[in-house]
Amino acid sequence: MVAEYQTLLKPTSRSRRLQANLVVILATVATLIALVPLVAVASYVISQGAGVINLDFLTQDPPGDLSATGGGIRNAITGTLEMAGVATLIAAPIGILVAIFNTEVGGRIGAASRFIIDVLAALPSIVVGIFVYALVVVAQGHFSGFAGSLALAIIMLPVIVVSTEEMFRLLPRPISEGARALGFTRWRTYLSVFIPTALSGIFTGLLLAVSRAVGETAPLIFTSLGNNFFSTDMNEPMQALPLLIYRNALNSAFPAARDRAMGAALTLVAIVLAFNLLGRWLVSRRRLARNPGR
Amino acid sequence: MEEVEMTTAIDTTQTVVAAPFAASSDHALPDTSVVLKLRNVDAFYGPRRVVRDISLDIARNAITAIIGPSGSGKSTLLRCIDRMHEVVPHARATGLIEYRGIDLYDRRIDPAAVRRSIGMVFQQPNPFPTMSIFDNVAAPARFNGLIQGRNGASDLVEQCLKRAALWDEVKDKLRQSGTSLSGGQQQRLCIARALAMAPDVLLMDEPCSALDPIATLQIEQLMVELKASYTILIVTHNMQQAARVSDRTAFLTMGEDGAGYLVEEGPTGRIFTQPRERLTEDYISGRFG
Amino acid sequence: MVRRRLRDGDLPFRVLALVVTAATLAVISLMMFDSVQTAWPIFQQFGIIGFVTGQEWSPAFTVYGAWPFLYGTLVTSAIALAIAVPISILIALLVTEILPPRLSQPVAIVVDLLAAVPSVVWGLWGLLVLLPIIRPFEHDVASGLGRVIPFLGGPTPGPSYFAAGLIVAMMIIPIVAAVTREVFAATPRLQREAVQALGGTRWDVVQRVVLPLGRTGIVAAVLLGLGRAIGETIAVTMVVGNNPLVGGSIFSPGYTLASVIANEFNEATETLHPEALIALGVVLLALAIAVNGAGLMVRRRFERSAGRGR
Repeated sequence: MVAEYQTLLKPTSRSRRLQANLVVILATVATLIALVPLVAVASYVISQGAGVINLDFLTQDPPGDLSATGGGIRNAITGTLEMAGVATLIAAPIGILVAIFNTEVGGRIGAASRFIIDVLAALPSIVVGIFVYALVVVAQGHFSGFAGSLALAIIMLPVIVVSTEEMFRLLPRPISEGARALGFTRWRTYLSVFIPTALSGIFTGLLLAVSRAVGETAPLIFTSLGNNFFSTDMNEPMQALPLLIYRNALNSAFPAARDRAMGAALTLVAIVLAFNLLGRWLVSRRRLARNPGR
Repeated sequence: MEEVEMTTAIDTTQTVVAAPFAASSDHALPDTSVVLKLRNVDAFYGPRRVVRDISLDIARNAITAIIGPSGSGKSTLLRCIDRMHEVVPHARATGLIEYRGIDLYDRRIDPAAVRRSIGMVFQQPNPFPTMSIFDNVAAPARFNGLIQGRNGASDLVEQCLKRAALWDEVKDKLRQSGTSLSGGQQQRLCIARALAMAPDVLLMDEPCSALDPIATLQIEQLMVELKASYTILIVTHNMQQAARVSDRTAFLTMGEDGAGYLVEEGPTGRIFTQPRERLTEDYISGRFG
Repeated sequence: MVRRRLRDGDLPFRVLALVVTAATLAVISLMMFDSVQTAWPIFQQFGIIGFVTGQEWSPAFTVYGAWPFLYGTLVTSAIALAIAVPISILIALLVTEILPPRLSQPVAIVVDLLAAVPSVVWGLWGLLVLLPIIRPFEHDVASGLGRVIPFLGGPTPGPSYFAAGLIVAMMIIPIVAAVTREVFAATPRLQREAVQALGGTRWDVVQRVVLPLGRTGIVAAVLLGLGRAIGETIAVTMVVGNNPLVGGSIFSPGYTLASVIANEFNEATETLHPEALIALGVVLLALAIAVNGAGLMVRRRFERSAGRGR
């Protein structure tokens, strides 16, 4: 039967088979190469940082002198969470409204708005920092947590707009037409029908935007500046995890600073990962709910 | 081509003892004239069965039509034969499909090899958009490494285009894009391309449904010409086409479980004038489907 | 607004959305304008072309030129793309063409996780782990090929354009791979099956259908990655060497637009120093808009040709 197969079925020549296999090998190797850094970073941060983190580390503030041992990263954790929270409060409602605007308004104006949001999405984060510096810090005369939040909000905005727009686009037609048929005005429909239906998706977009904002350093360098002391005052310079890591990393010749940076890095990665995975999990749950058993 | 008619009981509930499969069929094709043997073929998309237990013999150098309402698994069955069904994620087929005595689903067999001997023409003409007419026809030979000699390509192209009754219309514009042709011409181009691999079986999945009536007629004429050199299996939802063109007809329909099964099969003339099964008669007279 | 039962809930809502959107866009434009205005004295003093091509950066002497940093941004981005693009295309091929569906999903997710690592953590790892590792590699290449090709020559102190390019590559792989994946997945089934039905191998399908039809999309993905690469700040500044001169080889320490701003901003006390840094920011902004604008146009063209609307 094998002999017949050879004559009757025109088997693939060896060179072509090798070619096809070569591609598979190359692609697998490339993927593994790409995954090596991920594994390396993850294991490095975990191995170096795990020993540093303890209750004191999370609840005390850093010492004034970076090279001194002891202390913790409390002000950085609270600063990060506080600025991210305020940024979300600013960016979320604006982002949703802009998404509604973009979805509803067509023609030149809608296209222009969408284009500007796209450009915003592509701005280097340091440029965003410069923007906020020029407008807010200079005007106020000092660095502040608020300026930092504003910078983060600008970074989060396009992410929220795009993902919310996507959600609205994916709303099933029957819902949209059903609301119309009941006499709802278009924009009322958003409030009572669309947003509640798309809520989990919008929430997911928010989570992903926050996970991005929490990891940003550059925009904070000249907006919130960083603070060695504990402060929850938005009007004062505020510390954040990325800033703390950055400053300690630059001084990593001192073992104390190095350890602090590693511990803070692990904490930061844990927070980012938490938001990220939570967002992904929500997406998969939504997908399952929509297609049970498929 | 004559077949030996085995006398069978008219009563359709009685299965002939010698028949290896349950559907009513004139299963008396002598072995030498059978090119494809299907036995107990099932096809699945994931856990869902779409084709149930189909057994069928396909005769050489004849046109066999597979007819039936939509959802009866006709196209799926066709795609199982050249192992295109499994290209879809989570799709699989079981059972025996034998081509000239070779089990096409044997583990040792490379699906790509199967597809070089069993050609397929799709419902929607799909010439390669980035290639000229010439290159479209030469393509399969090219990427299967089969072009011989300097004139190998142009000889092959001319031969195939002639066989597909397209040569005269395109011989002066071979370098133009494949998509610059009309629908019927594109489909004939696809047929020419399929012939370039010198298959001896040609599977056609509703080849005329995207074409206008004149183009349809041209393709039907072509099929009748081609059957002298090739075995043709055509899926069609157009009963008149099946009646016009085919030598044998198989009728599939969807069962209660959602899977298609073979109701009846036999010479076209008989199927359409004296169907054995009630369902067949109903379908043919337009009572459903 | 939810409490009051308005006859026509339309108008206030519509106005609100319009006002908010317009205000947002206005604020952004204002910020842009403000930054350019702050930087204007620099452009006045050196001329726009003069500033962009100026090779000298000496705050102490009030001489500012953007070229070393522009050069650094371009070189590190080029290195990053050279590494990331082939790898990303291969990853996309693996996920869409080669792996069975059960495996391709998890692999895609894991590759995407690369994007979740914050820039500063990449920088930390790059500084403490990667630099020591690649230093011998840099040294070997420089003393080998580097003798013949000056671009690959020494000396190799460690932090360099190459190191920065390497780190940035790791950061842009997930983006380029994700977009390319979408491009490949959008290959029309009809074309793909045409090749398969003719007995083509997997490589035939890739070579004759997936890659040619995806060409525009791949360009869009690359431009997207480039846009990200030129803006990378923190990771770069920790491994690039912070040298405000045009380095002669990829192993020289250098500077990029983004990293010099981050590094010098808080210590910028000289005359016009802050303004000069903001001017660098404006140059970076222009570059980012150009690259991403091009990327958007290519992406629109791809989506149109693939028969989908945005």
